[in-house]
Amino acid sequence: MMAAMRALGAHLRAHLAVMMQYRGEVLLWSVWGIVNPAVLYAMWSAAAESSGSHEIASYDRAGLAAYFLVMMIVGHATGAWDVYQMGHFVRTGVLSPMLLHPVLPMWRSLAENIAYKVVTLMFVIPIWIGFAWLVGPAFKATAWEYLLGTIALFLGAALAYLLSYAISLIAFWAPKLDALGEIYFALCMFLGGRFVPIAALPDSIAGLARVMPFRWMYQFPTELLIGGRVGFRDTLIGLGLQIVWLTFSFVLFRTLWFAGLKRYTAVSG
Amino acid sequence: MPQISVQNLAKTFRVPEREGGFIASVRSIFKRRHKEVRAVDGIHFTIDEGEIVGFLGPNGAGKTTTLKILSGLLHPTSGEARVMGHIPWKRESEYLRRISMLMGQRTQLHWDLPAIDSFLVHGSIYGLPKEQYRTTLDELVALLDIGDVLKKQVRSLSLGERMKCEICVSLLHRPSVLFLDEPTIGVDIAMQARIREFIRNYNRQHGATIILTSHYMADVTALCKRIIVIDKGHILFDGPLPELSRKLAPFKVIKIDLDRDLNGYDLAALGDVLVREERKVSLRVPKGEAASVTSKLLTDLAVLDLTIEDPPIEDVISRVFGGESTK
Repeated sequence: MMAAMRALGAHLRAHLAVMMQYRGEVLLWSVWGIVNPAVLYAMWSAAAESSGSHEIASYDRAGLAAYFLVMMIVGHATGAWDVYQMGHFVRTGVLSPMLLHPVLPMWRSLAENIAYKVVTLMFVIPIWIGFAWLVGPAFKATAWEYLLGTIALFLGAALAYLLSYAISLIAFWAPKLDALGEIYFALCMFLGGRFVPIAALPDSIAGLARVMPFRWMYQFPTELLIGGRVGFRDTLIGLGLQIVWLTFSFVLFRTLWFAGLKRYTAVSG
Repeated sequence: MPQISVQNLAKTFRVPEREGGFIASVRSIFKRRHKEVRAVDGIHFTIDEGEIVGFLGPNGAGKTTTLKILSGLLHPTSGEARVMGHIPWKRESEYLRRISMLMGQRTQLHWDLPAIDSFLVHGSIYGLPKEQYRTTLDELVALLDIGDVLKKQVRSLSLGERMKCEICVSLLHRPSVLFLDEPTIGVDIAMQARIREFIRNYNRQHGATIILTSHYMADVTALCKRIIVIDKGHILFDGPLPELSRKLAPFKVIKIDLDRDLNGYDLAALGDVLVREERKVSLRVPKGEAASVTSKLLTDLAVLDLTIEDPPIEDVISRVFGGESTK
């Protein structure tokens, strides 16, 4: 584990340096990450205003502002794109030099993920503050909710990363995963509450969302950080389910990793 | 006890194949055809500590596949291999720390960063103590003469400069076993010579065991006392370099110096004429006919001097592999 942490630190420094070189690109990705929830806020707040109750899934305009503002942060913290990368790595043999190292290539990928999030923060924070000033969100979280929400956010980010990485290992069997990446992204949007709070979805889909991991990555930490939406008992259940899904993702990762390595053909040099 | 031992090692790939053209591509949507390719087919060999062994063979012979199995990148279909007592495809961290593989066509360096940053990352991954890292790096930088490129972005380096940086990063942790797959590919002749010299020195100084594949015969003849010739997954030859010509070459080269001109003597009837000057002749004849041809030449011509030689190694290899270029 010490070796892995050392490797993570070294890769993190290298990837931070790479990100600094591509500041323009990083800025555009940051804007992309903000635009998505901003558009959704505009759409759903307009829908709320035009509805009789002036609410969507018990969120009024200020509530929706708080929801999508927090979702911006949660979406940023939970971003993972290995499903898109791993296919390329396997197909072109880029994975081979990584496999020669005495630590898992996952640490390199995790370092890149963290580096991106750290560097983009310097763009995300000012945009977020400006947006918050414009829309007037209603935050009600207590100190406890902030604390538990932050824990849930870290667990959600770990779950989002590990599950995405585990799924990316399907590339050992089907090395072009772009379409799968899009499907996975769509599931995160709908069943994670990123598109709209899950309670606004039809019952059948909301029921499906309850048994899938996506809600625990996105909506659960978001609702905790807004405050006044998740009771103490449900918070404990939510944290427990995050740990259950993390364990599942870890087992899935290990299973696919060892089975995938046996199939790896190390093509192209 | 050998440092590398390979027994009955085999690797079969299942590769999709289809005819060319649009119709064939549509047909392949409904029915995919696969072909089993036996890249390595039951090979055996052992290599002792400190040996440099050259792997020779045409494209697709199984050289790189063998190296990839030994470096833990590939699982074999069957057979056994041990390197320093480890089973490579178990990919134990302790094993990976003691080997290195240089793939001429793959980079271990961060494309967007100066090479020195990749070296630092490598040092951290392998947990090299600061002093050891510094000493090794200084030594490698001096030997490879890369002091002036360390701070340049890797993507802006020439192929030769990048290759030297790849060698540097591969050796920073001082591996005991080194797998070199085409280490001089694409670099100019002067640079090839320097890389060869460096590999020889590394082997001498650190007693490292090295397996080398190359299309350049000069790499092999300069570095390897022993070679393993592999073709279609089978080992055709395993032994000292000079032995290769004797075993695999089906012909001999007879060189003669004459006292008088040939005067229309029909040399072509005796063998392939390689050189025909006024009083100097070189003939390639089938091995079994060398004695009778020599006797005939001595009878028919005024021979001043005669030698019978094995053909140059390049000729042997290119004939064995059906005209493959060996430069």
